[in-house]
Amino acid sequence: MTWVTWRLYRLPGAIALALLAAFAAVELTTGLRMASAWHHLLATCGDSGTMEGDGTCDGGSVIGVLGNDMRVLSISVPLIIGVLLGAPLAAHEMETGTTRFTWTQGITRSRWLLVKAGWLLLAAAICAGAVSALVTFWSGPVNAMRGDQFSGAFFDTQGVAPVGYAVFATALGIAAGALLRRTLPAIAVTIAGFAGIRLLIVDAVRPHLMPAVTSITGLVQGPTSPGITWFLSSGIIGPSGQPLSLVKDGVGVGVDGLPIPLSAMPAACQKLAPAAITAGPPAKGAPDPVAALTSCLSHAGFRQSITYQPGWRYWPFQGIEAGIYLLLAAALVAVAWYAIRRRDA
Amino acid sequence: MSTLARIGPAGQDPAGRHSPGNGSPGADSPGRDTLGRDSFDSDSPGAPPAIEAAGLTKQYRRHTALSDCSLAVPQGSICAVIGPNGAGKTTLLRLLCGLAEASGGTARVLGATPRQAPAFLSEVGYLAQEMPLYRRLPAEDHIKIGAHLNARWDGQSARDRLRALDIPLDRPVGTLSGGQRAQVALSLVLAKKPRVLLLDEPVAALDPLARRGFLATIMAAAAEAEGSLTIALSSHLIADIERVCDHIILLAAARVQLCGDIGSLLAQHKVLIGPKKDIAPVEREHTVISASAAGRQATLLVRLGGPLIDPAYQAEDVGLEELVLGYMDAAAPGAPARPRGAGLSTLTTATSTEEDR
Repeated sequence: MTWVTWRLYRLPGAIALALLAAFAAVELTTGLRMASAWHHLLATCGDSGTMEGDGTCDGGSVIGVLGNDMRVLSISVPLIIGVLLGAPLAAHEMETGTTRFTWTQGITRSRWLLVKAGWLLLAAAICAGAVSALVTFWSGPVNAMRGDQFSGAFFDTQGVAPVGYAVFATALGIAAGALLRRTLPAIAVTIAGFAGIRLLIVDAVRPHLMPAVTSITGLVQGPTSPGITWFLSSGIIGPSGQPLSLVKDGVGVGVDGLPIPLSAMPAACQKLAPAAITAGPPAKGAPDPVAALTSCLSHAGFRQSITYQPGWRYWPFQGIEAGIYLLLAAALVAVAWYAIRRRDA
Repeated sequence: MSTLARIGPAGQDPAGRHSPGNGSPGADSPGRDTLGRDSFDSDSPGAPPAIEAAGLTKQYRRHTALSDCSLAVPQGSICAVIGPNGAGKTTLLRLLCGLAEASGGTARVLGATPRQAPAFLSEVGYLAQEMPLYRRLPAEDHIKIGAHLNARWDGQSARDRLRALDIPLDRPVGTLSGGQRAQVALSLVLAKKPRVLLLDEPVAALDPLARRGFLATIMAAAAEAEGSLTIALSSHLIADIERVCDHIILLAAARVQLCGDIGSLLAQHKVLIGPKKDIAPVEREHTVISASAAGRQATLLVRLGGPLIDPAYQAEDVGLEELVLGYMDAAAPGAPARPRGAGLSTLTTATSTEEDR
């Protein structure tokens, strides 16, 4: 069956390799140019943290447009692999009837599916891994400059997560094809299912992969950023340590101007609130009503909290997320295996 | 040829109880009269049937494709599976090769239940109606695929056969003619060296010349196997069947209407031509399969239950086409209902006991 898989996918494999080579050419050439420009900039302008958008030391100027477009585009690579490789695996053969040829040879359907799926999942992982490695290489300076590698377009295109996505998308295509037996509906289900699961995990699961860290700071100085972090939320904590609910028509306090209800403030500070609400930008030398309110609350024991994921968790998160997708993929292969074995051809 | 009365093969079971499996066991030459022998009885010498089914049923969500089918095909025979479109021919063959799973009853091929196991799959060759092949791959690659998927594989015989037929091995099979593609598909299934070969409407889409070539290949393969190859092929071309097959399974309305050795079945049936009158006396002795009347003359297709005595009727031998059409007519939805114990019900005697259980 290994030879058969190879024979059937020789041409698609060659096309995939050619596309991969073209992608590598773009990312490597622009990436190398960008890296050298970046190092030059670092040598003349110093710390990377000061390089966003200030004239001669604007780090953004070194980012190659084409390479950046490719990086953004690479977010769709796992889905493309799933659609082209996974969905037709069983469905196309069922549609054209060739399953009636292969399934009546001397091997079982299980073996047919598991060998074919195994090789194609491996191919999907290798392709996505290669693309991801190239993007990770290319993004070095951008990562250093922006420091928000948890955000979607960065996290989702680098490291090992894309490998998990591609294996999952392929397995989803295989399972959808095995159940629906037609390629086009299988492709539609693959696209919808992949997008749905990805969005769900990005929004609802990823922030909680590890318990978030909450740090409490004074109202005046604001939160200190501990390295590269993934900021999740911030809030105001009352004198007794309870978090205050933020309300839409509340009074903005603290560095971030978080709106808390007037009733939550002690009476002494409440008196300062109307002035703070109506205050425009503080005039030079004049007393600042917002600062006065903040200082009053700070004295009354109000604190600001910030909830975030520390930067060092980037790689653990990559690993956990890839692991989740690999588990989902394994479950989907089991579904496909069950469907192929149980249902009539 | 026409003869009067008393044409009754000896040894006929007077009760008219013929199981659908009635027919000659493997060792018998086709056409030899073996009436009354029930192949389900273990008294028949020789090998067990290559294909056997009892109460085989296939229920799909909306309809019943095959209902309570019992049949037996002796080893080494070439058996036609015949019936109108939608009668269940394809379903039967798919159940036998393990592509589909029965909803009830049992099927046995070479003594084994069709299943997903290399030991079973390697013994059975199946050719689907649409002759599925990878259209972009040449025959040579199909032969190599077969070599990788089968423990027992005779690729060289397939190459030799295709070369002898001038069919290019290196051109994508999608570019070949329908007849050539059918020969490729047949060569591949024969390269498996199966002991049971199931062919679903293999000649339906072929022109007469390609059809003749295809059937010639089948017959050559059967001759080469010297009785170790059993073939079941579905078709609705009676002329082809008469030429190639020695057994017949007639399916209509999802049921087996007739099953057995063609020669024996032809000997068991007669066409009676006589005056239009009450057929009850005839039905007492024989089974009237179909009856038609033109003017004052009635024509009856009967399955003989004993010697034919009534001199009013002239008995004529029946041809395969007549026989098949008679049974198909009787099973057609518009056919007049006949009481149990007459007409078709005798044909399902073996299966009605299954129902009663």
